Amino acid sequence: MTWASLVHVVISGLATGSIYALMAISLVIVYNATRTLNFAQGEMLMVSTFVGWTALQVLRAPLIVALLVAVVAAALLGWILERVVIRHAISATHFDVLIITLGLSLILRSAAGAVWTHDEFPFPSFFSNRPVALGPVRVAPVSLGIIGASLALMLALGALFRWTRLGRAMRAVAQNQRAARLMGISVERVYSASWVIASVVGAVAGVLIAPVIFLSSKMGLVAINGFTAAVLGSFGSMPGAVVGGMLLGVLENLAPLYLPASIKHSVPFLVMITILLVRPGGVLGRVARRKV
Amino acid sequence: MRRAALATGAAVALGWPWAVPPYFVFLASLIAINAIVAIGLNLLSGYTNQLSFGHAGFLAIGAYTAAILTIRAPAMPVAVTLLIAGLVTAAVGLALGVPCLRLEGLYLAMATLAFGFVVVEAILSLDWLTRGNDGLRVPAARLGPWVLATDVARYYLVVAVTALLIVAAVNISGTRTGRALLAVRESEIAAQASGVNLAAYKTLAFVVSAFYTGVAGGLFALVVGFLSPDSFDVFLSVDFVAMIIVGGLGSILGSVLGAAVITTLNDSLAGFQNYRPMIFGAILVTSMLFLPGGIASALGKISGAGSRPPRQGEDR
Repeated sequence: MTWASLVHVVISGLATGSIYALMAISLVIVYNATRTLNFAQGEMLMVSTFVGWTALQVLRAPLIVALLVAVVAAALLGWILERVVIRHAISATHFDVLIITLGLSLILRSAAGAVWTHDEFPFPSFFSNRPVALGPVRVAPVSLGIIGASLALMLALGALFRWTRLGRAMRAVAQNQRAARLMGISVERVYSASWVIASVVGAVAGVLIAPVIFLSSKMGLVAINGFTAAVLGSFGSMPGAVVGGMLLGVLENLAPLYLPASIKHSVPFLVMITILLVRPGGVLGRVARRKV
Repeated sequence: MRRAALATGAAVALGWPWAVPPYFVFLASLIAINAIVAIGLNLLSGYTNQLSFGHAGFLAIGAYTAAILTIRAPAMPVAVTLLIAGLVTAAVGLALGVPCLRLEGLYLAMATLAFGFVVVEAILSLDWLTRGNDGLRVPAARLGPWVLATDVARYYLVVAVTALLIVAAVNISGTRTGRALLAVRESEIAAQASGVNLAAYKTLAFVVSAFYTGVAGGLFALVVGFLSPDSFDVFLSVDFVAMIIVGGLGSILGSVLGAAVITTLNDSLAGFQNYRPMIFGAILVTSMLFLPGGIASALGKISGAGSRPPRQGEDR
């Protein structure tokens, strides 16, 4: 295989990887605040994207409006779910909350199927699908667009965490909830904000990826790859989530070139099992020691 | 009281095929098979607080092992077939369980979820053995001179195996091993401090859980008579988790009741496939929010018998 086509494969891997990274970031934001793995994250992405698509169909609006509608829907959905369901279980064990989010994911997927059917729908893209030549390398603008938009969103999130009052509060809660509360931080507000932000990140990822993998009630499964990405980069760490996502995307696109085709679908899962077993702290991180 | 309840249960189980239409005999077999899986899963989740989303994978391994044995070695007694199905699954459980011990609950849940997907992919790619997507037809098994060809015969086989495994599970809690597992459930750190080898007992729970599920898989193959990879998807694993959540974590009676409720519900919702996940999701959310101990603890409260206290939130 030539080097130019290798670059092509790597770039499209980075594009899917960006989506995994965004999904990983959503999961990590929620985890850092409520110490919950949100099994419904992928379904929240799917529902928000569907709402955006409906706006597109009904209003015949431009794509940017669909994005905005999806983002608003995602924010509302995240806020409502956290406020109405998760908040009531906040004193329960992780185990219990995990089951609750699992239940929510089943409900959301089934509800989406009832409203929009379980068919696949084409979704318009901001970027063209026709490859352009950059020197000897042929690249699809859609790949570059996804990578660029994701990076922009990640930078915005980084700025939010670093420089705003809310971001500082979120980091404090992630480190030590009790100490954060004693410092006068409203931990409940951080819960709400985290679910809203995670949901919004998911909606953007959904609008970016829907043109590539089609819009369907199944598209929430991308969250599993997001989890793998987060673990790959040390669960709980934002830079880790980005690196893990990119790595997983490239691995997934390269693997079929070197491995039998039948193994292709198992790649993310095999990566997840391997990394959990060999380096549970992720490729960048250390294993957290549990204290008594 | 307890003895009377047991006697009634046994009488109902034995008389069932003569009192109901054939379809309900088949349904009762399914309930018993699912009860075995739920008990196995509960040994893992109830005692060691580890959640598995991969038990459909174990069930598939047991089912395919039993099916292939029945096809290749038709003369083999069914008890041996089931035992081998259980042991093969337990071996896979050991191979997965040992490295998984290092994982905290959340990661174990995800690793087992991934395991479930990999098993389905493996069944698809080993199509010379499993016939992949075409599915595998399972012939009737033999027990000595008898061929288990009717639903009623298979039902009695399932009931006998289920009873055996329930008695074994009940008796585990009276042994040294059982007390060690109970100690692990109450506090891993305290158990470790009292000399319980945490790693060994967690592995044991994982392997026993896999064994139960493998035997159930073997029975599943014989009772359903046709295996295809899509019967073992991740939603089946979710069903198993739902059974122990609804029934009650750490309770054997709860496992059986949960299996009965979820299996019956699944069956009656067969005509509403699109709404089934919604109803299941609602059941999971509401039982977690309002009935954290499951049916078993609700029964315990009514009859006043001591049951497992609701778990307190961990220090976060």
